[in-house]
This record gives sequence, structure tokens and C-alpha cells, in this order.
Amino acid sequence: MTSQHKAPPADEIHDVDALVREFEQLGYVADTAIATSIYLSMRLRKPLLIEGHAGLGKTEVAKVLASSLATRLIRLQCYEGLDISSAVYEWNYQKQLLAIKLQEKSDQTVEEKEKHIFSREFLMERPLLQSIMEEHVAPVLLIDEVDRADEAFEAFLLELLSDFQITVPELGTIKAKHIPYVILTSNRSRELSDALKRRCLYHWIEYPSFEKEMKIVRARLPGTEEQLGKQVVRFVQAVRRLELAKPPGVAETLDCAQAATALGKESLDVETVVQTLGCLVKSMEDGATLEAAGIETLLAQSN
Amino acid sequence: MTTTVEKPDHAAASIVEFCRFARSRGLSVGMHQTLTALESVNVIGVADRRLLSFALRSVLCSSQEEWEQFDQLFDKFWSSDRSQLDSEKDRLPRAAVLRKQSTDSRLLVSAESSDASQDNEGKLVSGASSQQRLKRVDFSEASQADLAALEDLSLRLLRQMSLRLARRMKIEAQAEHIDLRRSIRRNISRGGDLSHLAHKGRKRQEKRLVIFLDISGSMNLYSLFLLRFAYALQKHFKRVDTFLFSTSVVEVSDLLRAHKLSEALNALSQRAVEWSGGTRIGESLREFNRRDGRRILTRNTFFMILSDGWDTGAPQMLVAELRHTRSRVQKLVWLNPLLGLKDYRPITRGMSAALPHVDVFAPAHNLESLLALERYL
Repeated sequence: MTSQHKAPPADEIHDVDALVREFEQLGYVADTAIATSIYLSMRLRKPLLIEGHAGLGKTEVAKVLASSLATRLIRLQCYEGLDISSAVYEWNYQKQLLAIKLQEKSDQTVEEKEKHIFSREFLMERPLLQSIMEEHVAPVLLIDEVDRADEAFEAFLLELLSDFQITVPELGTIKAKHIPYVILTSNRSRELSDALKRRCLYHWIEYPSFEKEMKIVRARLPGTEEQLGKQVVRFVQAVRRLELAKPPGVAETLDCAQAATALGKESLDVETVVQTLGCLVKSMEDGATLEAAGIETLLAQSN
Repeated sequence: MTTTVEKPDHAAASIVEFCRFARSRGLSVGMHQTLTALESVNVIGVADRRLLSFALRSVLCSSQEEWEQFDQLFDKFWSSDRSQLDSEKDRLPRAAVLRKQSTDSRLLVSAESSDASQDNEGKLVSGASSQQRLKRVDFSEASQADLAALEDLSLRLLRQMSLRLARRMKIEAQAEHIDLRRSIRRNISRGGDLSHLAHKGRKRQEKRLVIFLDISGSMNLYSLFLLRFAYALQKHFKRVDTFLFSTSVVEVSDLLRAHKLSEALNALSQRAVEWSGGTRIGESLREFNRRDGRRILTRNTFFMILSDGWDTGAPQMLVAELRHTRSRVQKLVWLNPLLGLKDYRPITRGMSAALPHVDVFAPAHNLESLLALERYL
């Protein structure tokens, strides 16, 4: 790698503990393990792949990282069929055609006209190109749910993550002035290619422990009654053991706690669970499984 | 928490050794990762053992399985006497390590055949003729040695089929192009100048596949291979839904989607599923149509039934339900392993009644017949 790729030192955050504190101030409860992964990713300037079930804060990491570094968050949401024109760049064809019409009568040569048409003015920069065109400070690039994109896109991504440059045929090669901090997330609906995984640091996010989840509830919903919070967390953790098709994540715990508080409850009873069921369970089959296990039984376990 | 007592110059050597140790225990650790591990130790330092383990775990693992194994490996390496580390019983045999590192679908190796496969490692250099023989071996008649060899061969051939299907999709799919014809029409009122452009949509693989697999006693031997086939096809269809039936129906799509095949099959045995017993095809199909039909069956769905047609229920129900299903899907395919038998004629009440209501009736008793399905996909 040439020297222009050398990353400037992330001297804002000195060590792992500092990162934990910084994140805590921004409302994200980070355990030492994930803080280590994030810290390494920042210092080594290697992309970080975060894998885990839905609702566990994978996307949050990127948002909080951007805030803590006081830099821009550029987000690319992946989906099946994602291609270059949506992810990297596209020419603004309509504007170009209009410009051609307007230039019809002007004195410029054909080369000059062509150069004008294919200039930055007519280029629509999508997230991946945006991430390497930042002028002042390295942004955070979040590639969300990369398992939803296909292998062709992964191959392109691999190239980008190696060289941090993109070639637009009409403009030439654009090299990153500041190497972005890259975070990829995956729900593991599909195996990612080995090459991509090797290029990244890795972190598997697991469901939190009771203490950790309580910390999150306290941090994100400070108005929640302590007793109610504990019951909700215990209840959700019991529900997770039921092997639902879509087990509730931390996001669901927060929804449930917030809903219960909004309903004015001070403790969790069967009625409240039934009323807030939609927060926890996202399909009819899962609802049936939960009812079969017995809401009262589960509640008894959480008291 | 004990801190590592390593002198700085020894630290690097230990890290490299640990990486090698991790690789011998099945983690996919290459040169690149070893270098990154050394870089990360420069950043994190060796003073705090917990931080070191977190850092190395982040560098050396690349999946949930590896992640969950890691702490044990780390503790083992850093606390025990190094000379004990090479005990043969813990080391994974090299063949297994290589197999683990393949990117594609990992296939289940049954407990009996894993020993056979290690013996057969040498014999697996199959010439064209032995490959042909293997492709034709009926699953129910395969010996243990054959089963192991079949597993490897099917892995390879399914991968090739995957590539062919993927290439086909690439040729069919078009990037967003300007639709010249529509653009010109749109601009007729403007004197033919193309100021409003119409674009061609992208043609995507919209097909969905539903697999309806008979797992009653008579189908058992074929079921495992057919499940593997279903698993391998997942990449090529927008969506694959898998249902198992014998006297009733169970949906297992989420299991096959979310897990590697070996885990999926394990989880399957834990779900209350009857792997033997009678067969009621018509009733099962009826249950499916009622409960899941609306959600699952669409215009561009391929519906594949894998069953030998031995139905203990009434043929009228089977016919009625088949007609119902067929009217809602693109193609109804019935795969019957008995078609592999030379003298088989579909004369059982169930099968003969069903035949006119099926678009494709094909065998599925060996690898060759499964691969032949490619042209219908």
C-alpha cells in the first residue's frame, strides 16, 4: 500500500476503556469485547463485520461510532439485486440530455461539450462513492445487511475494501483522500464469501446477559420503573428460550418496556403482556408458541 | 485473572504459534490473519489477558461457530504446558480441516461413513468411469463406502450445477437499460427529442420453489439426499420453502435457511417429526393447502413433491388437492424414486390417480436423476 493510504491515528480515543466510556455517554452500552473489536477496527483501519440476530444493536454501533468521532455516517442498505448504479454512482441522464440540447447552439468543440457532460456536476454519487470522496475527515461507512446482497456485489465490495478507489470510466480513478471506517452487518441469512470474511475483523453479537440488558434499559429508557424493567427483561429472556422463529432482540425489550410504561403499569402482569404482545412476537406462529408455553408460567419465572 | 508473563520478543513467536494451533483445531486462519494478529497485539499489548483474547478472537474468527469455540482454545493454549498441546486426539484430521474450509454448502457426514471416508481418501481420485457408476448408484442400495464417496461427488457436482444456474441468471438479468422504444413513443409530442427517458426494468430471478418431501418409512433412505438437494438449491431461487410430511405436515424452511445442513438436520430431529409411520399424501397436501397455501403458492412457484406414491388415504382427496395446488403454481413436479426401478409402473391407486394432474413426473433415486432436474429449474 502506498503511503497515501496510511490512516491518520485515531487519537481521540486512547484505549478500549476510553471507548467504552465514550459510547456510554452516547447511550450505547458496550461490553469490553465489542469495544475491543471496534477499537481494533479503528486503529488498524480494517473493516469490522458484525454478525448476529436481529435487534441486537449491530447498526447502532456504526451510528454511535460516527457520533463519537464527530464524523459523517454514510449508510448503504443492501438488498438482493443491489448493483453499481444504486451503490456506487449513476449518471444523471435526463440532466445530460437537457445540457446537450442547451449546448446545441454554443461555440464549444465536441470534446469540450463531452467533458462538460461527463463532469462531477452530472454525477450522482451513491453511498460507496460518497464514502471515498469526503474532503476533510474520514467518514464511517455502514454497509447494512450485506448478507442480503449477492456474490457479485460482494466481489465488487472486496475490491473496494482493498484499494479504496473507484474507477468511473469517463472520469478516471478516484482515490480516497481519507480511508473510511467501515462497518458491515449481517443477519446471517446467507454465508458470506470467505474472501470477504478474511478481509474483515469479526464480531458475533450474542443476546445480552440479564445485567447487560438491564443496563441498556436504564440507559435508553431512564424513566422506567426499576421493578418493571427487571420483570420485562426477565420475561423477554424467558421468551428467548422458547425457540421462536423470530426471537425478540433488545429492541423488542425496549419496545415492551416503553409500552408498559406508557400504559401506566408498574409491574408486568398477564394483561399487560397480552396488550404488548405485538412488541415481542412478530408472527402468528410465534404468538401461538408463546401462548402454548403459557404466559403465566413464564411470568412466574420472571418474578 | 492471570496476566501473561511474556517478554516482548517472545510474544510475537507465541502469537504465531497460537495462530498455528488455532488452525490445527479447525479455525480458518491464514497468513493474512496471522499478520493482523501481530498488528493487533502491537495495538492492544499483552499485559491484559482478557483484552488480548478479545482482540485475537476478533481477528482469527469469522463465524459464530468459530467464535464460540475460541475461548476454550485460547485458555487451553495460554494456560497449559505447551508440550501437551499436540495430543493427537484433539487434532482434527487434515481432511476434515480442508473440508471445513470450503465455502459452499457443508453436507452431513453420518457417523458411520465418516470413518469410511477417511479410509477412502486415497480412493477418491475417481476416474470418469467410477464417477459414472457412483452417479447411478441407487441411494437405497449404496454401501457405506459409496455413501461417503457420493457425498463428495454430489458436493462437487451440485456446485457445478450452481455455477451453471448462476450463469444462466446472469445472462437473463439485464442491468437497467434505457428502453429506446418506449422513450421514443413518449417523446413523439416533443418532436422526437428524447427529453423524457423510459427505462427497462431489471429482469430478476423471481422463481420460488416449494419442496414437499415424504419422510415416511418407505421414503427414508432417499430423504436425506433429497434434503441436501433442496438445501443446495436455496441460492438459486428467490425463496425456497420446505415441508416434510408423512401423516401430517411440518414446515422446516426456516431451519434449512438459517443453518448449515448438518445443524438443520439435527434440529429437525428435535422438532416433533415422525420419520416413519404411514403415509397420507392427500391429507397432508390438504393440510398444506389450507394452512399455508395462500401464503406460499404464487404464479411463479415450482412445486416439487418427492414421494414414492404409497398412499394409505383416499385417492380422490389426493387428486382434488393436487388440482387445487396445480392451479396456483407454475409447474407441479412429482419426483418418484421408484421410477428408477426398471419394471416400475405407477399402478398404485394413489400414484396412478395423481399422474394426469402432474406436469413433470421424474425419477429421483440417484445423483444422476437429481442433476437431470436442472433442465426443469
